[in-house]
Amino acid sequence: MGGENKPELIVNGKRLDGRMPDELRPIRIMTNVIKNADGSAYIEWGDNKIICGVYGPKEALPKHTGNPERAVVKCRYQMAPFSSLEDHGRTGPNRRAHEISKVTKEVFENAILLEQFPGNAIEIYIEVLQSDGGTRAAGITCAAVALATSGIPMRDVPFAVSVGKVGNTLILDMNKIEDNYSDADVPICISPRTGEILLLQMDGNITREEFSTIVAMIKKAGEKIGKIQRDALKAPYEAISERYKR
Amino acid sequence: MNMIKIVVPGDLLDDKPVHIEHAIIENDKTYATVLGSYDEEKKRLVPLEGLWYPVQGDIIIGIVDEEKLNSYSVNLNAPYKGIIVSKFVETQLQNGDVVEATVKEVDKTGTAVLVRSRKLFGGKIIKAKPSKVPRIIGKQDTMLRQLSDGTKATIKVGRNGIIWMKGGDVALATEAILRIQEEAHTPGLTDRIKEMLSGNNKV
Repeated sequence: MGGENKPELIVNGKRLDGRMPDELRPIRIMTNVIKNADGSAYIEWGDNKIICGVYGPKEALPKHTGNPERAVVKCRYQMAPFSSLEDHGRTGPNRRAHEISKVTKEVFENAILLEQFPGNAIEIYIEVLQSDGGTRAAGITCAAVALATSGIPMRDVPFAVSVGKVGNTLILDMNKIEDNYSDADVPICISPRTGEILLLQMDGNITREEFSTIVAMIKKAGEKIGKIQRDALKAPYEAISERYKR
Repeated sequence: MNMIKIVVPGDLLDDKPVHIEHAIIENDKTYATVLGSYDEEKKRLVPLEGLWYPVQGDIIIGIVDEEKLNSYSVNLNAPYKGIIVSKFVETQLQNGDVVEATVKEVDKTGTAVLVRSRKLFGGKIIKAKPSKVPRIIGKQDTMLRQLSDGTKATIKVGRNGIIWMKGGDVALATEAILRIQEEAHTPGLTDRIKEMLSGNNKV
């Protein structure tokens, strides 16, 4: 991790974009952006722009992919060719996209009440239009909202965010430059109601004490992210009930 | 007092274990599983978006998609299938036939057992969102009656979201139904649809 020309990421206690170490980037979520999907959401997380569509539950085809006891989750995460400075121009998912699709799928297998739809498949598509670090976390946060708008029963609305380490400082919600030159990167997805960890990946080295600090930081940030998710879900209906009151 | 509030999945509904539809009980507490409106007094959670769950007595419209030895499998535009037992069918059915039927019971796997099936000849079907069907039918069928009067078409609405139309101005009826679906939540919709239907008749 890090190179010889490593930039100084923290100056006078502030980060490159002027945030404090435990500060999130601004987040905005919109729901029902795709007309033909059963559920959809769009998220702007700092400079990340991600759109997510959910289809189903519908019959799992080809039939051998289905499970007669519960529904299966199919997930595809993909970056648009124009999403970042690096090359994403080839068709089809690459190694990194396969990995993120798999971990996202496993997050939602533990959040959706799958046993209600035997033999069916739920499809989640996450398309990254513009990326600036932390897209897997933003993608999961967005997909959770899209699933809720589709009416698929879920135990909870999970959120994800990553924490990194620069020198001896832990920083929340890294952007692209911080991600490239940090000493560690830990994306975590949490189910806020129970506090269960649904996704945990780690790149780099951290100590045990640092790890418990990271989980505490993410849980604290989750209160903010969770509120944004819930407000985005409720907003269209609250606007309607306001209109009816008049 | 208006005690209805909007809840999202994972919201606490009750500190005690209460049996509520679309809710789960964990650690002796009740939590919502869908985005819906919750009535605290009546303990009732109504989903705002989403799926149709077969309920006994629902009148549905489906498409026969498989012929089996002693039954027909029916596509209901839902995560669950429907089944018509052959010996209760008067005319033989074929793949692709549109049928109107009533849900007799729902078995453990969620398959709906259908009775009183009737084949619908000709016509055109469109698929609407199941959550908007009550608005398309209207209070005491007002909206549906207005639609069929205005377009002179025979319209049958299945609770699962499949709508069958025949005769009259089917194109206008389709347009009106799509508009109802989009503006389902706005007040004064009946009058606007009335205007839309009558305006076209004059031309």
